[in-house]
Amino acid sequence: MKKLILIILTLSFFKSMSLANEVNVFSARHYDSDIQLYNKFTSQTGIKVNVISGKDKSLQKRIIEEGKNSKADLYITADAGKLGLFDSNGMFQNSMSPAIKSAVPSNFRSKNWTGIAKRARIIYYSPERVSANDLNGMTYEALANPKWKGRIVIRQSNNIYNQSLVASLIDNNGKKNTTEWAKNLVANMARDSKGNDRAQILAVAAGEADLAVANTYYYALMLSGSKGTEQQAAAKKVLPFFPNQGDRGTHMNISGGGILKYAPNKDNAIKLLEFLLTKDAQQHIVNNTYEYPMIEGVEPHELIKQMGFNFKQDLKTKVANYGKNQAIALEIMLNAKWK
Amino acid sequence: MVNKINIWYFSSFIISIIVAVPIITVFSSFFETTGGYVSVLKNTFLLDYIYNSLILLTGVLTLTFIIGVGCAYLVSFYKFPGVNFFKWALILSFAVPAYIYAYSLTAFFENYGTAFSILKNLFGDGNYNAHIPKFDGMLGAIISISFSLFGYVYVLTRASFHYQSQNLLELGKNLGFSKQKSFFKIILPSARPAIVAGLSLVAMETLSDFGSVSFFGVSTLTTGIYNAWISFDDLTLANRLSSYLLIFILGLFILENLSRKKAQYHTSSKGGFKSKSVIQLFNYKSILACLFCVVVFFLSFLFPVFQMLYWTIIFPKHLLDLNLIELFSNTMLLVFLSCCVLILLAFISNYGNRVSKSKFLEMLNTFSISGYAIPGIILAVAFITFISWLDLNMINYLGTESIKSIFIGSILGLVLIYFIRFYSLANNGIKSGYLKINYSIDESAYLLGYSKFKTFRNIHLPYLKNSVLLIGILLTIEIIKELPITLIMRPFNFETFATKAYIYASQDLLEAAAAPSLLLILIASCFILITSRYILKD
Repeated sequence: MKKLILIILTLSFFKSMSLANEVNVFSARHYDSDIQLYNKFTSQTGIKVNVISGKDKSLQKRIIEEGKNSKADLYITADAGKLGLFDSNGMFQNSMSPAIKSAVPSNFRSKNWTGIAKRARIIYYSPERVSANDLNGMTYEALANPKWKGRIVIRQSNNIYNQSLVASLIDNNGKKNTTEWAKNLVANMARDSKGNDRAQILAVAAGEADLAVANTYYYALMLSGSKGTEQQAAAKKVLPFFPNQGDRGTHMNISGGGILKYAPNKDNAIKLLEFLLTKDAQQHIVNNTYEYPMIEGVEPHELIKQMGFNFKQDLKTKVANYGKNQAIALEIMLNAKWK
Repeated sequence: MVNKINIWYFSSFIISIIVAVPIITVFSSFFETTGGYVSVLKNTFLLDYIYNSLILLTGVLTLTFIIGVGCAYLVSFYKFPGVNFFKWALILSFAVPAYIYAYSLTAFFENYGTAFSILKNLFGDGNYNAHIPKFDGMLGAIISISFSLFGYVYVLTRASFHYQSQNLLELGKNLGFSKQKSFFKIILPSARPAIVAGLSLVAMETLSDFGSVSFFGVSTLTTGIYNAWISFDDLTLANRLSSYLLIFILGLFILENLSRKKAQYHTSSKGGFKSKSVIQLFNYKSILACLFCVVVFFLSFLFPVFQMLYWTIIFPKHLLDLNLIELFSNTMLLVFLSCCVLILLAFISNYGNRVSKSKFLEMLNTFSISGYAIPGIILAVAFITFISWLDLNMINYLGTESIKSIFIGSILGLVLIYFIRFYSLANNGIKSGYLKINYSIDESAYLLGYSKFKTFRNIHLPYLKNSVLLIGILLTIEIIKELPITLIMRPFNFETFATKAYIYASQDLLEAAAAPSLLLILIASCFILITSRYILKD
C-alpha cells in the first residue's frame, strides 16, 4: 500500500513538472467572463492559462519581490495608471506585435503594454431636476461651478478611477488649476464621499443629489436587471451625459495588460494578448462586462449603445500619462479635503 | 542555569523568533527614509485618521463587552427559555466575517436595497429611501465589526464562568452581596483574564481591519497605511505607521499586565471544584433574558445569512457556477495543515515557557501579537520582503538555489504566514488554559518521577483538552474567513470561499459574492456545531 502511494505521489509530481504549454496570468481584473475566454483560448491553442487574481498593489509587490524567479507572464489590470506605474518601475518588457499594433489605437497602448477594453467616466443626471440646457456644453471642469453647490456626488479620493480622472485634468489644465477645481468640487458635494460608483448613481435616483460621476458599465449593469428590479427601475430615473464633447472629448480609461520582464512564456503571452484583441473575444468581453471594445468592427452591448455610442472620446490625452500624475492627483484631492 | 537552557526553552525561543519576523521587518522601516506623503498626511487627515481609529476602537470594545459578557453571564448562571439553544447558537456569529457583515448591512439599507424591496412589496410604491436609516459610516463599521467579533469575548468569558467554582458564589452570598454586587465584585473580576484576552483580540482585529472600514468609507489609521503603500508607493511609511499601531497596542497590553500585577487566577485546590447551580428565572426577567439573546442571535447571525440567502435564491446562477468541490478541498487543506502546525507549536512554546519560567521568553511571546495587530496585507508584504532578503543573502553567502518559490505562491508559504498571523490566538488560548493549572501540580508530578514529556502527556493534555478544541475551532474559522493574506500569497488557480467572495464583491457583484459567502458561513457553522458540545460541556 505504501509503495502504491509513493508511486502515485511521484507520478503526480512529475505530471505537474512536465513542460505544460502554459501562460501565467496575474490579474487584477476578476470577471468570470475572462475565465471563459481563457478556456476558449486553451481549446483553440492548447496553451493552458493559469490565473491568480487579486488586488493590484499586492500582485505588483509579489511580482517585484519574486523578481527573476517570478513565473508571471502577463499582468492584467483595469486602470491605465496602474499599468503606467508598473511600467515605470521597469517591470514590463516589450509587449508589442504587429497584430496588437494594428488592432489598438496608439493612444491606448504603449511599447510595454496594451489596452484590451475601454470605459468612460461620465456624468449622470436627474432629468427631473436638471434640464438639458443646464448641461449644455458641460465639462468635467464645470463641475466646480458654484451653480452645482450641494448637488454633486462622487466616490472617494482613494478610488483609482477618480485618481485617473484628476490625473488627466492635471495633464490638460495643470496642477494649479486642478487644485482650485478640486477645492470647488468638494464644496459642491451633496454629502461626504462614500459608497461605490453604483451608489452615486442611486443617490441621484433617490433624490440625494442631482449629478453623479461614475463609470459607464455600472449604469448598464443596473439597467440589465442583474442588480434586481428596483435598481433597474432606479437606473431608468437617471440619464447619462458625456462631458467635454465641445473640446477634447470624454475621459477614457482602459483595462489592459503587459508582458512581465522575466516572463518564462513570452510567446504564449503575446498569443493570449492577440487573442483577447480578436473580434470574437472582444465581442465576448463587451457583451459581459459592458465595456467598450478596443478594436474596430465590434459593437458594444445594446445597453451601452443606447447611452450614446458615437460620443467624442478623449483621444488626445495619452492614458499612459495617468500613472505619473496619480500620486499628485491624490495629494491634490486630499489637500482639498476630498474624503 | 544550564538545565534551564534545554530543548523546551530553545524550541520556544525559535518559535518566537519566527513569529517576530514581520515585526522586525516592519520596525526596520525606521532605518529607511520615507517619501513626501508624510507631510501630505500631516496636513490633511492624520489627526482625523487617529481620531476615527480611537472612536472605532472604543465603540467596538464597548459593544463587544456588553454583548459578549452579557450573553455569557446570562447563559452561564441562569435558566430561561431557549438557554440551551443560545449557548451554542451565539457562537455562530463567528461564522460571519466582518466584511460579509458589512456587505449585508450595506445591501440591506442602501438606496433601492433589500429594505426598499421589502417595503415596496409590503406597502406598494413610495419614497422609502429618504426614510430608511443608512447604517453607513462609523456606525455601520462599529456594528459590523462588533457583531462579527463579540464571539471572542463571549466564548472566552463563558469558558471562564464555566470554571468558576460554586465556592466563589457562595462566598458572595455569605458576605451578603446582592446578585448585582456579586457580579461586579466577584464574578467579573475573576473572569478578568478571559475577558481581557477576548477584548485584546477584538481590539487588534478592529485596528487592523481594512475591508469593513473601507467599505463604509471610514478613514482610520489603517486607511493611512494603505494610502501610503498603494497610492503613494511609500512602503517605508506604511511600515512605520504600522509600527506606531503596534506600539499603541503593546502599550495597552503592558498597561493591562501591570494593572493585573501578580494576581493568580488558577482555582484553589482546597475545597475542590464544585460545579455551580444555575438559577431559574421567572416572569419578566426570563423574557428579558431570552429577548436579549434572541436579538443578539438575530443581528449577529440570522440577518447576514438571510441577506446572503435572499440573493442566492433570486440569482441562483451564481451558486451553480461555483466549483464547490475545489473550493471546499482548497479551504480544508489550508485549515488542516495550519491547525496542526499552530497547535503543535503553541504547545511546545507554552510548555517551554512554563518549564523554564523565563521572563525573557514571556516577553518575546508578547511580540507574537504582532501577527494580529499588523494589517493582514502589511504582514504578508513584510513576509515577502523578508523572504526576498533571506533569499538574496543565502544565494550570495551560501551559494544555494533560490528559495523564493518555496515560500511565495505556495501552500507552504501560506501555512507559514497563517502560523505567524494566528500564533497569538493559539498561544494565548493554551496559555489561559495553563493558567488554571497550578504549577504545584507539575512539581508533584516531577517528585513522582514523571519526565517533562510524561507530565505534559498524562497530566496537562487531559486538562487542556477543552482549551485545545476551543482553539482548534477558533483557528479553523479564522482560516476559513481569512482574506488579505490568502489573496496575495496563494498559488495559481487556487481559490477559497473567501477569495471567491472577495473577487465578486470587488467588482460590485455582491449578489454573486452571496453564494460563496453563504457557503463559507455554512461550513464554519458546521464546525461550530460539531464541537459546540465539547466546548460547552457543563
